[in-house]
Amino acid sequence: MKIQRFIGAGACWLSSLLLPGVAEAASKPTLHVYTWADYIKPEIVKRFEKENQCRVVIDTFDSNESMYAKLKAGATGYDIITPSSYMAKMLFDQGMLLPLDHSQVPNIEHIDPEYLKIAIDPDMHHSVPYMLTNTGIAYLKKRVKKPEASWALFDRPELKGRTTMLNDMRETIGAALKFLGFSLNTTDEKQLEAARDVLIRWKHNMAKFENEQYKTGLASGEFLLVQGYSGDILKAQEENKDIEFVLPKEGYSVACDDLVIPKDAREVTLAHKFINLVHDPKTAAENTEFISYLCPNKASYVLLGKEIRNNPTLFPPAEVRAKSEVIHDLGADNQKYIKVWDQVKAAE
Amino acid sequence: MKHSRLPLLTTLLVLIFFYLPIVVLVVNSFNASRFGGTWEGFSLKWYAQLWSQDEIWQSLRNTLFIAFGATAVATVFGTTAAFALHRFSSRLQRFHYTLIYTPLVVPEILMGMSLLLLFVALGAQLGLFTIFLAHVTFCISYVAMVVLARLQDFDFSIVEAAQDLGAGWWTAAWRVLLPLLAPGIAAGALLAFTLSIDDFVISFFVAGPGSTTLPIRIYSMIKHGSPPLINALSTLLLLVTFVLVWLSQRLTEEKNQT
Repeated sequence: MKIQRFIGAGACWLSSLLLPGVAEAASKPTLHVYTWADYIKPEIVKRFEKENQCRVVIDTFDSNESMYAKLKAGATGYDIITPSSYMAKMLFDQGMLLPLDHSQVPNIEHIDPEYLKIAIDPDMHHSVPYMLTNTGIAYLKKRVKKPEASWALFDRPELKGRTTMLNDMRETIGAALKFLGFSLNTTDEKQLEAARDVLIRWKHNMAKFENEQYKTGLASGEFLLVQGYSGDILKAQEENKDIEFVLPKEGYSVACDDLVIPKDAREVTLAHKFINLVHDPKTAAENTEFISYLCPNKASYVLLGKEIRNNPTLFPPAEVRAKSEVIHDLGADNQKYIKVWDQVKAAE
Repeated sequence: MKHSRLPLLTTLLVLIFFYLPIVVLVVNSFNASRFGGTWEGFSLKWYAQLWSQDEIWQSLRNTLFIAFGATAVATVFGTTAAFALHRFSSRLQRFHYTLIYTPLVVPEILMGMSLLLLFVALGAQLGLFTIFLAHVTFCISYVAMVVLARLQDFDFSIVEAAQDLGAGWWTAAWRVLLPLLAPGIAAGALLAFTLSIDDFVISFFVAGPGSTTLPIRIYSMIKHGSPPLINALSTLLLLVTFVLVWLSQRLTEEKNQT
């Protein structure tokens, strides 16, 4: 074995590692997007690159919290980030975001005013809604008798051991609060205690709290009734035609990922152009169809395919929609939810 | 005389334990079903989709680039560190040993965070180069430990004999010591390579724009993308690994025959 030869090869590798860093500096302007995996249609990115003579580099994160930890520690270089709304607010409160220049993003006039009413940043001062997902109930049509669009399904004794709810404090307590007719952002301890008792009752009927596997479990018939996100359920429906997804009549939660520009972004103009393109009605419709979340761009709705347009879980009737809410960050009052959640988790 | 069946049975069980998950993964990469819960028929669509995912290939390139680079540098530094640790024993070397040993036991998240803070404080541009540096940092320790183990039962009289026969210190090290240590160094390098290729926590923190590595991308895809693509990609990686292993075995066999 000629180890000497390996050492020579290693030296070559090292020099090749250092060289491209030099070559990269002299190229076209580059827009750095920090987002979830598969969260934009690749053709849209290609079009943007062509129109603006630039390169788009997409990096991915796997949770709001890890992304936040990284930015907070001082990581820079990103021009557009897509955090969930509550995280966008947190970033803004800490002075980490740029306010938007509305004159550079004329297309945001298309954004659905119905959604903006419940949004955390309704004036789009520093964030533009990108994609919505609703949390609702999915079940197998053949196995759940006399279904109704209500959280009360979780009380059905015949489904014992075959239901799951999300392992997410705010979503799950929120469902119980909605069931009782309260706001899912309530800070009233009486209401929270009532929600706790409902949740403990549901828990006795439940297989487990589950965030990921419920899609698989529902598609394969292991679970009959789950609480889940619309984006996930739509994908599970492609697998199993028997899955029905409904938004409970008592109300449900809407989660949104926003487009934001961090304070230290280098390509601020390009970033605005990118937001503008994403909210061009035609692009928005294309994007919605590709990633099966809903881009809240009102002018794009009419351009969507019939199947999506007529899907009541994406476009619920007005009276149901009026009861939807976005989960807000409650600051110090979060503690009340943690207490209730601990009690639910510990309950036998 | 009847042989006991027990060893055979144990071996089979262990093999199943090792390889069943991989078999499931490979089978599922050909499954038309998105979630892999049920078999929906044979399909190559995930491979076709994988082919058009430029971002995945870019992150694979990043990962390999860093892995090869970090392995090369860490192997050199790790080997020299091990040699110094073995040859000299002073208070300074004991301190050196602690320094080398610490990265093995420090939690990864702490290392990632502290490296990120350091890079930010230095004003370094986060990217491939910072990931490379971070990987070298922890790979050195692993290489040094493996080579040190090899040195501990190394007979230094061979080197002395070479020097008696007229070899200079450099020649003795280059032509006698190094070839004899080669298996240890190779093992250390392989370990460093695998650690670098699948490191997630540290890479996540020190990665900058445009330097997403494969593990980072896969984590995000599990949460938010299409897992079947990952199955397909892993199957391809497995295939490459098997071919490499087979090739290296063939090469060594040929050498032994001549």
